[in-house]
Amino acid sequence: MREIAVKVNGRVRKRLVKDNELLLDFLRERLGVRSVKAACWRGECGLCTVKLDEHLVKSCLVLAVEADGREVKTVEGIPEDGELAPIQKAFVSHGAAQCGFCTPAWILATHELLQANPHPSEAELVEATGGLLCRCGTYNQIREAVAEVAGDGPGQVKESLARA
Amino acid sequence: MSFGSPYVTLPDFTYHRPKTLDETIALLKEHGDQAKVMGGGVGLIAFMKERLMSPAHIIDVKGVAELKRVGRAPGKGLTVGAGVSIAELLDGGSLDGYSVLREALERVADPMIRRRATLVGNLCEAIPWVDSPPALISLDSTVEIAGPNGRRTLPVSGFIRGPVDIDLNPDEIVTQVVIPDPKGTMSAFEKFTGGSEFSLASVAVAISNGGRKRTAKVVYGAVNSMPVRCAEAEQALADGVTPASMRKAADVASEKVECVDDVLATAAYRRHLVRVITTKVLRRMMRA
Repeated sequence: MREIAVKVNGRVRKRLVKDNELLLDFLRERLGVRSVKAACWRGECGLCTVKLDEHLVKSCLVLAVEADGREVKTVEGIPEDGELAPIQKAFVSHGAAQCGFCTPAWILATHELLQANPHPSEAELVEATGGLLCRCGTYNQIREAVAEVAGDGPGQVKESLARA
Repeated sequence: MSFGSPYVTLPDFTYHRPKTLDETIALLKEHGDQAKVMGGGVGLIAFMKERLMSPAHIIDVKGVAELKRVGRAPGKGLTVGAGVSIAELLDGGSLDGYSVLREALERVADPMIRRRATLVGNLCEAIPWVDSPPALISLDSTVEIAGPNGRRTLPVSGFIRGPVDIDLNPDEIVTQVVIPDPKGTMSAFEKFTGGSEFSLASVAVAISNGGRKRTAKVVYGAVNSMPVRCAEAEQALADGVTPASMRKAADVASEKVECVDDVLATAAYRRHLVRVITTKVLRRMMRA
């Protein structure tokens, strides 16, 4: 066991972890961050996606010790002053969650996409979320939610929706 | 990796995070076949969950500055360190002129996996259906290896000995892959996945116009237990890509490339795919 300190959603959390512990287990079991889902355990479904420093990673393929001294963001870290982000509201209004199991990962990934690229094209949306699965098949509703937030800017998500 | 049901935990190991290559090699010397080098860890962690590997020591090289470098110099070409992730390589813009490698890497898994997975790790897995080896072989790439007994260099084509089998001693590490200057080389990559995450067939083509003589390299991945070159297709393209040479190359490759039957596809289907992707990649090159 060794102690690691990880800043999770703005708060430094220190815990003893085993060397062979996954970041996924650290977040869920040691810190109780249950929005990070444990599903396929092998990097296929993407439901354990978190932001590690600057980038999204699948936490079932990262060791907890690797996160020592670094920053992790999950869906809980998105709202500011208790106010849901536009993409979160859009997920609600478009019914972009059915069973809801994958929703935290999808919100995190689409939120990060929109932060980096406020007007993504359809291809960019598909590319950015290519590592995520939704077994209820709410892909269209997710696309509509992203299109709403992307608005009428130069992005193409909305245009391609109109063509569909 | 879908070999079967994975364990959700990893076997016990001690984690090491060396800061220098010397320190890394000292750890490899001490722990040898009890140790595994971890780059992105994508393959390694998956293998460990499957209990296909249970190393007592994990040596994470992402903190080794010497292995985090991407270099590009005229004459030497492109060097990519073992700690460089595929996303870092793609973002860095250093793949200009290396179309075949860029096209292969852009379609590796998904953005989150590419952020973690390294080019060297992808190569060292030597899994038959991974995409970087055919691209690297088509460009005559080499790997540089370091260990307690010094350094050596090998062509990628010789480094991969078979499925999940590479020419690397337990106390050695691949420090970087070197891809020669692409000057005058036109190249492209194509694969067919059938919607799954695994390639059922892939092809890397590099046609060099350097000097007086034109040479073509045509390398297939995912059709056999390791990448296979097709000399007959290469010969067909020796005078350039034309509608006629394209048809000839696709026909001859489909006939000559040895394809295997496995759970993903039959050999006959793979031979069909070889024809399709060869035509597709060459048509694109002809238009370029």
